[in-house]
Amino acid sequence: MSAMDHSTDTLLRRIPVVAIVLIGLFVTLAPFFILFGNSLRPADEFLSENATLWPSHLTFEYYASVFGANSATLKILFNSIIVTTLTTIVSVSTGCLVAYGLARLKLPFRLSTIIGLTFLVVRFYPKITIAIPYFVLMRDLGLRDTYAAVVIAHVSMTLPVVVWLMLSFFEEFPRQLEQSAMLDGCGVLRRFFSIVLPLTLPAIVTAGLLTAFFSWNEFLFASAVGPLNAKTLPVAISAFITDKGTSWGPMSAMGTIIVLPVVVLAVIAQRYLVRGLTAGAVKG
Amino acid sequence: MQLSRTTWAIADWLERKIGERGILLAFMLPAIAIIVIAQFYPLIYSLWISFVDWTLTKSIEPGPFVGVANYSKMATDSVLLQTIGRTFVFAISSTAASVIIGFILAYFTVGERPAVRIARTILILPMVIAPVAVGTIWRMMLSARVGPINDMLRGIGVPAPDWLGDPRLAVLSIIIIDVWEWTPFVFVIFAAAISSLPSEVLRAAEVDGATPLQILFRIVLPMLAPVGLLVVMFRLLDALLTLDIVFTTTFGGPGFATHTLSFWIYQQGLRYFNISYAAAISWATMLGCLILVIGLLVWRARISRWQQA
Repeated sequence: MSAMDHSTDTLLRRIPVVAIVLIGLFVTLAPFFILFGNSLRPADEFLSENATLWPSHLTFEYYASVFGANSATLKILFNSIIVTTLTTIVSVSTGCLVAYGLARLKLPFRLSTIIGLTFLVVRFYPKITIAIPYFVLMRDLGLRDTYAAVVIAHVSMTLPVVVWLMLSFFEEFPRQLEQSAMLDGCGVLRRFFSIVLPLTLPAIVTAGLLTAFFSWNEFLFASAVGPLNAKTLPVAISAFITDKGTSWGPMSAMGTIIVLPVVVLAVIAQRYLVRGLTAGAVKG
Repeated sequence: MQLSRTTWAIADWLERKIGERGILLAFMLPAIAIIVIAQFYPLIYSLWISFVDWTLTKSIEPGPFVGVANYSKMATDSVLLQTIGRTFVFAISSTAASVIIGFILAYFTVGERPAVRIARTILILPMVIAPVAVGTIWRMMLSARVGPINDMLRGIGVPAPDWLGDPRLAVLSIIIIDVWEWTPFVFVIFAAAISSLPSEVLRAAEVDGATPLQILFRIVLPMLAPVGLLVVMFRLLDALLTLDIVFTTTFGGPGFATHTLSFWIYQQGLRYFNISYAAAISWATMLGCLILVIGLLVWRARISRWQQA
């Protein structure tokens, strides 16, 4: 068989493969396209029988009303940004600290392993189990409907991922670097903050991305403990369903506002994201 | 500069004071405190609630101890029993479809060419966006009136059904949405696992004249089985506990047609405020999930051992 035959042969075989991947891409992207189109579609076009997939006229009124004066949505967007920022900062910093402690501290009775596993347990039970007691706890503490209530919940749910991600990085961190710093008289605080942390920055970015995405997207706890003042975008968009007659346009605009930052970040930081999403599953 | 020098001076002083072990122990405290307060305390508290009589609308304080009454109530809750069956059908269908589609897409997008890398980036997107946004998007996609899917069906002369409003189709619609959202999870794990397969083995098989299908079924799939079982486990767990999609598409309806287990717990707890009953269903669900996880992990251990033998 000549080289020529061989390449036509593989080319023929590639056609169904390429077709399947293209279908996959189409099915993945079409809903995003429809969402974005509908956020720009004039209200009367939603009512017409023969509306085109992409709106024939574009309107920016839904976005204008979101970003206009006295906008309730603007306050909600602001809440989402605050909750996500605080959650990411607190979760990543406390997560890095505990992971470093677990990686370096020798505790009796294999306590380090036990504490590590304890964090993992959180991933394995239905979150709905604690949504209601958490709601009661926040009510009793007088924290109901505050940023703190939502942020603490989100931190506690993202810590396991941060801890396990960082733990594997700290354990693989070359000990010689730390040992030579120790000989130069660097204490553990100096070693951690000026040597270990800067060198594990890629892992921290991964942990931060996963945490930020989770918090930005989370619905259950946000709706349980932050119904009004601390309402976030996912809670707000879920309310559209109970309205009489869906307002498709405003709903699509809000949907786009929720989705767009995540999509942009995911595309830019795809390398970091994939490492986080696959951590543990492939090696273990 | 001045500030950082002061900070380091304080740090060094602190370290002399409490020692390296003290510092490391202090490192661990904040995260452990958060987990205990926000996860384990509510978890234990919910176990306790499940044994008392407590409806928040009747009293803001817990009522008397009622033993297993909340648990035995589950056996007579016909909505719950139907919901359990439906949730299993939903979870198994969604898991099976997403695992098959996700594997195929991962198997077909191996490599580092730019086009393939872009394809991989796009294929991940549905899983990173908010589940409530997924629900919202698909509510539009499947809308009987303004939905593009029905537009297309009408365009080719097929009767356009009411996807989310027809009780017979609503569960199927929720499955389609769940598969769209979570196939990327399967995809991303398999893509990583496939790219880490030992290429010598695959090349050796090719040299020995194995057909692509033989390589797939005799070599690739068996080698991926342990990862595959983990994927199935995570998918099953997530699908069994689906809430956000239901919340934003059908809100459990029409009637009870798309009530899932999590949705029923949510309704009982945060809508009717029957919090002790909701806690009982939660704990029963948790035990069920635990048995499932242990079963799958034991199975996985057996497969790994058999592979190494």
